[in-house]
Amino acid sequence: MTTVSRENVSNSTSGVSGVDKGKAGFVLKRNRDAGSLSIWQRPSVGRLGGVIIGLVAVCVYMGATNPLFLTWGNILNIFRAQSVIFILAIGMTFVVLCGMLDLSVASATGVASMVLGMSIEAGTGPIIAIILAVIAGLLLGLINGFLVGIVRISWFVTTLATLSIYASMILAVTRGSTISLFKYDSFKIIQHLANRDIGPVPIVLIAIIAMYLISWFVLQRTTFGRAVYAVGANPEAARLNGINVPFTLMVVFAIAGITCGVGAIQQTGRLTAAVPTTDPNQMLAVIAAVLIGGMSLKGGEGGLLGTFLGTLFLGVIQNSLTLQGISAFWQGTVTGSILILAAGLAVMRQSEFDTKLGRNLRALFKGKKS
Amino acid sequence: MLTVTRSRPRNGFIEMALALNTIHVDFTQHRVVIMNGKPLVRMRGITKHFPGVMALHKVDLDLYPGEVHALVGENGSGKSTLCKCLYGMHTPDEGTIEIDGKVTEIGSPTRALQLGIAAITQELTLAPPLSVTENILMGRLPMGRFGIDWKKAHALAREALDQVGAIIDETCQVSSLNVELQQEVEIARAVSTKSRVLILDEATSSLSEDATERLMVKIKQLMSQGVAIVFISHRLKEIFQCCQRATVLRDGEWVDVLDVDGTSETELVSKMVGRTMEDLYGKRPIEIGDKLLEVKNLCTIDYTVKNVSFEVRRGEILGLAALVGSGKIQLGKALFGAIPAVGDVFLDGKPVRLGAPTRGMIAGIGFVPDDRKNGALMLCRSIRHNLSLPWMMTPDFCRFGLVRTRAEMMLANECMRQFAVRAPSLNTQIVNLSGGNQQKVILARCFAMKPQIVVLAEPTRGIDVGAKSEVYGFIQDLAEQGTGIIMISSELTELLGLADRVLVMYQGELCGEYDPRVASEEDIAHAACTGKVLVRGD
Repeated sequence: MTTVSRENVSNSTSGVSGVDKGKAGFVLKRNRDAGSLSIWQRPSVGRLGGVIIGLVAVCVYMGATNPLFLTWGNILNIFRAQSVIFILAIGMTFVVLCGMLDLSVASATGVASMVLGMSIEAGTGPIIAIILAVIAGLLLGLINGFLVGIVRISWFVTTLATLSIYASMILAVTRGSTISLFKYDSFKIIQHLANRDIGPVPIVLIAIIAMYLISWFVLQRTTFGRAVYAVGANPEAARLNGINVPFTLMVVFAIAGITCGVGAIQQTGRLTAAVPTTDPNQMLAVIAAVLIGGMSLKGGEGGLLGTFLGTLFLGVIQNSLTLQGISAFWQGTVTGSILILAAGLAVMRQSEFDTKLGRNLRALFKGKKS
Repeated sequence: MLTVTRSRPRNGFIEMALALNTIHVDFTQHRVVIMNGKPLVRMRGITKHFPGVMALHKVDLDLYPGEVHALVGENGSGKSTLCKCLYGMHTPDEGTIEIDGKVTEIGSPTRALQLGIAAITQELTLAPPLSVTENILMGRLPMGRFGIDWKKAHALAREALDQVGAIIDETCQVSSLNVELQQEVEIARAVSTKSRVLILDEATSSLSEDATERLMVKIKQLMSQGVAIVFISHRLKEIFQCCQRATVLRDGEWVDVLDVDGTSETELVSKMVGRTMEDLYGKRPIEIGDKLLEVKNLCTIDYTVKNVSFEVRRGEILGLAALVGSGKIQLGKALFGAIPAVGDVFLDGKPVRLGAPTRGMIAGIGFVPDDRKNGALMLCRSIRHNLSLPWMMTPDFCRFGLVRTRAEMMLANECMRQFAVRAPSLNTQIVNLSGGNQQKVILARCFAMKPQIVVLAEPTRGIDVGAKSEVYGFIQDLAEQGTGIIMISSELTELLGLADRVLVMYQGELCGEYDPRVASEEDIAHAACTGKVLVRGD
């Protein structure tokens, strides 16, 4: 970071003084490059700065006041409690990078979980059940992707509709009853995957980290990842430069569906049952995690590191509230407030925020930094 | 020091103005300048940054009651930005605006209206699905006992329309009107607010001669009522017809304020341009080869382009001139496949399938869109990602779906060097570059695909003069390699200065072909405006 900024400064100064006014006869427009941007306007700092500061602040405060907080067991607890959100947030990151949201994640997870439960109930082996759950998630995602990418219905309408369709499908198929799975032998492996540790580390944490690394690689290094960013940043430019926008959108929603399938395995494993009701808070938590991680709803900006930190931050907050003995009923308030704060920060660092409040706030921050 | 070397100024802006001017209104007897008293508006040291550009740098402007004040300058010199600061669309980063001697922060267009500042802008600000009445009285519809008093509203709207002499039914929907009539509605709205300051930012650009004439009469009338008017127009004649003073801006800086009466056109132009214009195009003799592209009966599905046939040769720069909305951009897009079209297109004898950008790219057609922000750039991404957008999918740069970063970086660096993109590094966000450098990135990535035919839509729109002449150089470099170039532009001088042949479009059809060595801009402008070839009297 420091080397880049130094380079910028030297470059911009030489650029201005190096103009030969007399010969060229025009003055180079002063180029406000990254070197002269305020710290909040630097893309990476502005995006991740808020969540990192928040995370560190809460951890320091909790570590100082509550001896239980910084124990290994509690840290693993945080990861375990957030494991489903961690997985779902990967898919949501892809969708948000395209400038959209998938509102149907929780319902799709519920359906995949039901498929898993029913196939175990029907006597299939654990591996077949897992594959079926992931395929179910993939299919549901493909439906979303087909409607959004190829039929071109808006993402909001599509995923709102599928949210209710998937949710009611579960209820209709199960007639509203929970499928309890702890009595099945073939379910044992799934339960172990979700809850057991390898050495000191939970299996699911390893799986989550692996999934994040793979997804990160896909986003950063593959042409598909570039296409995802391009579609989010400017769909028209992407189209004019030969990117198949409908196909990209379809695959993106399919990826979200796959993560729903994987999330369903973890969720079922933890609950030892396939529950017919879907938790609307789950969808909100996933979206909140992604947005707190500094992603822009406009798309094309951000990445998985932010999502990881955002999810972790939400987990830390929930854990802290529990440790401090604050009622779980307040969790929604806290999550919502943090979301507003994160969104406020994002708006503030944008130069388009050209209102009196924005200018004053920016001036305040600039004053403090310089 | 400031010299114009030719007898006629070689500047797109001016020549367009000269060419397009067909209005003969004599206002000399009304030129009563009252410059005593206090200024109504006093803007001091106005500075405004946008990401990547300094749009305004310490600009001053005084407006006296009863004066028509012209703002002149080239494209991108900051005229519109200054106006936007005045009517509250933008807030200046630095500087003060005094109204009636009091420092005022305008803040929003609503506040500006309350202060008596109304504006007619380049972009239409009407709500198309609403009626003309609702648009004219937007935000101040008269209330009766049971909600809106429609009878009164229509009467008020009628009155406003009559004031500017517009023949429009006040009850019809705005979306059913054409651009010119919409502009008249906009003028009626601004005038009916009875403001003390009226800003006309290119208000005449989409008006016919008749409507412009009526506007001029209205301006004269408002002037006598003591209204201060800011006038921006591409047609220089209009400025000499109705303005008393002119503030000259160049590259966002205040240059001078002139008395229009005592200034000649050449003087004004040299102030605007501030340099000799001789070598802007640097036209090189390029050998024109055999036939490369043949287009037969090209029609777009929406009929914005009708039965267009032409051909392009190797190394040829074909200019395409037309008014806005005549289908020239659509023609370029249709060739590339960006909008659905039918017709026969042969590139090097082989038929090109229309209808998808990928097909155009594979066939060897490159396209530079006219709208940088919305059509070409990923503003939130780095220069590198923007550069590699079209070619990252090609086999040279991807293996098994993975981007070959090293090859990508090498070509990206090469592009930066060749096209002299001034930026700190490849990873700089493109939004932080100036318009000219952004345009160079777009050209670089398009030319790096080694296309056989390049369609350039408004390649120099909104970029400064230095970048312009560089862009002209790049275009000719490409032509020298045997690429055929179709250049679509609104700047006639640019077409005449660079093209080997100029085609003129009128309402979606080709209506004339000109040799820039013999044709004048009047000829082309006349054909573009009327669809008929100008017959000279001599």
